[in-house]
Amino acid sequence: MTITGRPLAIALISASTLAYEILLVRIFAIEQFHHFAYMAIGVAMLGFGAAGTFLALAVPGRERAERWFRWAALLTPVALLASAALVHRVPLDATQLPWDAWAWPRLGLIYLLLAAPFAVGASVVLLGLTLEPDRVGVLYGASFLGAGLGACLALAILWIALPERALASPALAASLGAIASAQLAARRRLASLAAIAGLALAVAALVRPFWRIEVTPYKGLPQVEAFPDAQRVAERASPLGWVVAVDASAFRHAPGLSLLYRGTFPTQTGLFVDGQTAGAVSHWGEAGAGTDMLDWLPSAAPYALGGRDDVLVVGAGGGTEIWNALTHGAAAVTAVELHPELLKLSGWVGEGRSRRGAARVVTATGDARSYVAGSRDKFDLITLSAGVAFGASAAGVYALNEDYLHTAEAYVGYLEHLSDDGVLAVTRWLMVPPRESVRVILTAGEALSRVAPENLIDKLVVVHSWATTTVLVKPSGFRAEETHALMRWARERRFDLDWYPGIEGPATGFNVLEEPVLYRAAAAAIGGEESAERFAAAYPFRVSPVDDARPYPHHFLRAGSLAAFLGSDRGSWLAFAEWGYVALIATLVQSVVLAALLMILPVLARARTMVTGSWLRLVGYFLAIGLAYLMAEVAAIQQLNLLLGHPVYAVAAALVAFLVFSGLGSAWSDGRPGRYGSIAGLILAGMLGCCAALLLGLIHLLVSAPLVLRAIVALLVLAPLAFVMGLPFPLGLRALARDRAQGIAWAWAANGFASVVATPLAALIALEVGSNLLFLCAAAAYAGAALLGRAGAEPLKLAGA
Amino acid sequence: MRARRIGALAFALMLTLGPQVAAQERDAYEREREEMVRLIEAYGVRDSATRAAMRAVPRHEFVPRESVGRAYGDYPLPIGYGQTISQPYIVAFMTEILEATSGMKILEVGTGSGYQAAVLGEIGCEVFTVEIFEALATSARQRLERLGYGNVTVRHADGHYGWVEEAPFDAVIVTAAAGHIPPALVEQLRPGGRMVIPVGSVYGVQNLILVEKHSEEDVRTRNLLPVRFVPMLQGLR
Repeated sequence: MTITGRPLAIALISASTLAYEILLVRIFAIEQFHHFAYMAIGVAMLGFGAAGTFLALAVPGRERAERWFRWAALLTPVALLASAALVHRVPLDATQLPWDAWAWPRLGLIYLLLAAPFAVGASVVLLGLTLEPDRVGVLYGASFLGAGLGACLALAILWIALPERALASPALAASLGAIASAQLAARRRLASLAAIAGLALAVAALVRPFWRIEVTPYKGLPQVEAFPDAQRVAERASPLGWVVAVDASAFRHAPGLSLLYRGTFPTQTGLFVDGQTAGAVSHWGEAGAGTDMLDWLPSAAPYALGGRDDVLVVGAGGGTEIWNALTHGAAAVTAVELHPELLKLSGWVGEGRSRRGAARVVTATGDARSYVAGSRDKFDLITLSAGVAFGASAAGVYALNEDYLHTAEAYVGYLEHLSDDGVLAVTRWLMVPPRESVRVILTAGEALSRVAPENLIDKLVVVHSWATTTVLVKPSGFRAEETHALMRWARERRFDLDWYPGIEGPATGFNVLEEPVLYRAAAAAIGGEESAERFAAAYPFRVSPVDDARPYPHHFLRAGSLAAFLGSDRGSWLAFAEWGYVALIATLVQSVVLAALLMILPVLARARTMVTGSWLRLVGYFLAIGLAYLMAEVAAIQQLNLLLGHPVYAVAAALVAFLVFSGLGSAWSDGRPGRYGSIAGLILAGMLGCCAALLLGLIHLLVSAPLVLRAIVALLVLAPLAFVMGLPFPLGLRALARDRAQGIAWAWAANGFASVVATPLAALIALEVGSNLLFLCAAAAYAGAALLGRAGAEPLKLAGA
Repeated sequence: MRARRIGALAFALMLTLGPQVAAQERDAYEREREEMVRLIEAYGVRDSATRAAMRAVPRHEFVPRESVGRAYGDYPLPIGYGQTISQPYIVAFMTEILEATSGMKILEVGTGSGYQAAVLGEIGCEVFTVEIFEALATSARQRLERLGYGNVTVRHADGHYGWVEEAPFDAVIVTAAAGHIPPALVEQLRPGGRMVIPVGSVYGVQNLILVEKHSEEDVRTRNLLPVRFVPMLQGLR
């Protein structure tokens, strides 16, 4: 039992902490916003490093270490449950941190509660490594494999259980780990009983959670549910998001509706994903009463051209754009939606097939980019709607979100799938000053210059309402009668045409902007690459087109502007701040500070005995491989997202492949000489360099291939890479940490802290310079590690050890 | 005997100090209001009628008891039902944008605590205000009556339909909005009237849209720069 007991316990405990991490990201994304989740998780991960520092300083003897191992295993499920329950009892409005001094201690308490289960769980792994130094590879491999299992567990449970209930599942896995560890105890029966009690507690939490998820009142869902007759009519779970449908007579959704619309409104069911407004399902009256409203939405602009028979709706959401196409006489509508639950609730699949017009509608669940790449159809209209709620968009909470639907390559793909007379229509919220709209115009210009570079001036139309901008792109060029029809249509609705073929200059409009920015952007876009670049460079925000290597079309804040914004008074910069980006920088700063405090202070406290050349080499080596691993993982996840066409598939494939194959690599390393670690570092530097140079090109070649083939390619690319990435840690321990107990603990602490810092750092690098350069950064870090761990390097020797 | 003396002393102190304490409180609020108006002016609100109204309306009467100490800070405060009393600067800015003057007939959508209506009432406008949450409508009505704002009428209704019986209005002010402007509000605006409407979420950015109705067919909007924004204070969770 000893042979399998410890690896099994380590695997299950690792599964529980990784599952908890993934579930916390989901829970925080629902309760707050994604970026708060990363801030909290970043600190929670410090628990891993803190455990290493503590054990390096405590230096437990073998007997004590054995006892601590069992205690830590028994405590992990309890810590997981206590953390989930108590974190939800600490009231915190994160937006108040700049002004409310009392918010900071509460934040500190939340961090502590989040870090605790990770620290306890990490202690199990670390003590296991210390207790069996000759099986470091197997035990570390078990930790990797367990973490891979945890990733699968978290993603699987999110499909079948609501997030509130799912949060109990990591404690279940940890309880099983505790039961496995109890078999190693001298008083086996007592330890088993304690472990079973933990299991019972976890089951109880699963049946009736000890906590309640509360969505921040800043989101749309709680505000709509506060309406007098609001009623939640559906609630669905999925790793893609928590979907809720609410009926409320006062809820209405009509983005940018003309001020001159005088008809009736349909009753609507509000759709919310993770508490944010994601659209509405309209219930039209008899004989389609109310559908005339659709023609008064800015997104109806392309129908003013007439002849839009075959329509592709990208991001169908609640189905408004499907109805728009049907109402305007489309003969065939293809609707692609990533979120299957939204599509079901919109009524176009399943029972909804019986609704009027259903025979003309084909739905597809999945990523529109892959769909378009794999489709042989040509469309008269491809339409992308404004999507998420205005507030969230303008506040920059999506700044960190990868979005392959609005890259230059994506727009080229759409244009290539248009019929001879086809039009691409992209509607976005109009921020002030305009940002997203300007980027769409410049991206459209770049895509046009690649697909149909002649006479660009005739191929672009920009129309804005009081709240939205719609950009129309027609590679075959707008005819004069089409332009006139559009002008008439827009004038009747009091929408403004900022750009159209034959425009002579910015006109005084119905919806006045401070400056004619949209006109200038369109003029720059059709003026060629140089003119667009010049315009973008002079614009106060980052608006140049993004590509697949840096797919962040919702990120507009220039890095250099952040200091200026922070330096001004609070009111003036907040309006332009991107909360996601600000939170990312804050996460990086807090991670560096906390990691340094937890790592450096203990060393300084015992400086005379610890800081030696070999200590620095050991810490440097494990910092480097910690940074490199996370950077490579983040870069791979980003690019796999495009290859697999689904963020959940990408995360699942990357996590499982990395963790499982790294685990196998780690297990294989047992019995190999320590100098192999340095060689592995050099091999990895080469492999990651190849990824930077070739992977994205390969993905572009394969994006239209069947999913099975794409998944096989993903596995073939990741498996060897991940296998070799599993080697440097155990081999490094063998080469550099000859003084086992303390050396392993310091290596663990350094590696853990590097992982903490690497998470926001990798996201920042990807955001600023893209995933290819992130691969190169990872390659450089592995090369650095190879130098530090090269043959002949002096193993760690600690004075007094 | 001793107890009676103490009681008499306490009574005397109450008589002498009580009004002083009340006066000090009043002075404190006046000072806070003055400071609030000074800040609003520094942020660029120039309209003297708006500033005078903000100086006169006792904002602390419009916030929940537990928030009275923060009533004059430049931030919104929760008032229940997921609603807030807007930050003073927003109230002042929107009032100024409306060009509210005495005698104007104004429709407000989203009464909330009634503070914005009180500021307009203080200027001398005839205010018709609609609130979807019945409890908020009732408490705002009672509060405005108690404070003597007889020119403000509160109704519990869905603001989407405006107030047909009292239309047309010289101005419309909407204190919460989604991604569309209810058609009825534009219809009920008198030609030559103005409507101000914030678009966006309380989290992050709100764009202020000014709607100017020159005639039934000539309606134009101006997208004002994002307003200064501070998130609401704790208390909603």
